[in-house]
Amino acid sequence: MILTGKEILKQYKNSNIDLNPFNEECLTTNSYDITLGDKLISYTEDILDPKKENSFIEIEIPDGGMILEKGSFYLGSSREIIGSDKFVPIIHAKSGIARLGLFIHVTADLIDIGSHGNVTFQLYATLPVKIYKGMKLAQVSFWSPEGDIDLYSGKYQGSEGPQPSKSHKDY
Amino acid sequence: MILTGSQIKKELLSGEIFIEPSNLEQINPNSYNYRIGHKIKTFSEIVDNKPVFKEIEIPEHGYVLEPGQMYLANTLEVIGSKKYAMSLIGKSSIGRLGLFLQVSANLGHTNSKHKWTLELVASKKIRIYKNIIIGQVSFWKNSGEITDYTGFFGSKNNIQESNI
Repeated sequence: MILTGKEILKQYKNSNIDLNPFNEECLTTNSYDITLGDKLISYTEDILDPKKENSFIEIEIPDGGMILEKGSFYLGSSREIIGSDKFVPIIHAKSGIARLGLFIHVTADLIDIGSHGNVTFQLYATLPVKIYKGMKLAQVSFWSPEGDIDLYSGKYQGSEGPQPSKSHKDY
Repeated sequence: MILTGSQIKKELLSGEIFIEPSNLEQINPNSYNYRIGHKIKTFSEIVDNKPVFKEIEIPEHGYVLEPGQMYLANTLEVIGSKKYAMSLIGKSSIGRLGLFLQVSANLGHTNSKHKWTLELVASKKIRIYKNIIIGQVSFWKNSGEITDYTGFFGSKNNIQESNI
């Protein structure tokens, strides 16, 4: 079952949901709006390789915003720390962002229960699109789990800012 | 409701979830990590208004996916359930490298059981390897009576092109 906005507020107040900083105006009927942080990551490899550490640069988004070119890929992050030990978060683009052709995740929308930190956005632009730091980019919904809970303790726990892939640690 | 890792383990052991081959170490807090198989289908040309795909074996040293192309592959595992609906997506570590594992259709129907076809789209050039953990599948409790699955792909294990 998916939590309503009112239930998200209740569970936030009960400390069962972590949303920091919290702004009640970001609550929607079934989700909570999350905003874009200040930094982006861009890989500098010609060919990405999941079996190795891929080199990248960090970019500060200028105050006046930054244009993502069509076909470009960046990692960004939420300003908010997001997590829950009771519910499973799933991230989605705001529909207004999706209508501009911007993916905010590539394939992986599911967050492990017990994971807490800034969410890394996987930004893929299908059209040229301008983004601004602090803009409402995405939303997070919360889902009730079935079964005993084992909390996440993986390699992205406590993420601050965008985190590049650590896939090489898996292979 | 979405199943937790311990519930996935319980249902895997009771037979309500089928994953073959399976490894309990591939269970996450609320999903199961699947592997990519050893073949990939690449688009080659249009013949009679239909796309023609060429199937190749992924070499030991991997295969480089080009941006702007769509490739088909499949899961190494046969995955299914008569009790739960499924959602099949990529690992976040793979998404962070800009690789789509599915193009918008993540829902796996209750009663289907097969090797899932993956739709690979790379936003940057990326090397993929055969048999590596590449994605995750979550299991969702149903509400209501379950009908028999009568779709096209239910029992097929090779990499399925579109049947439209």
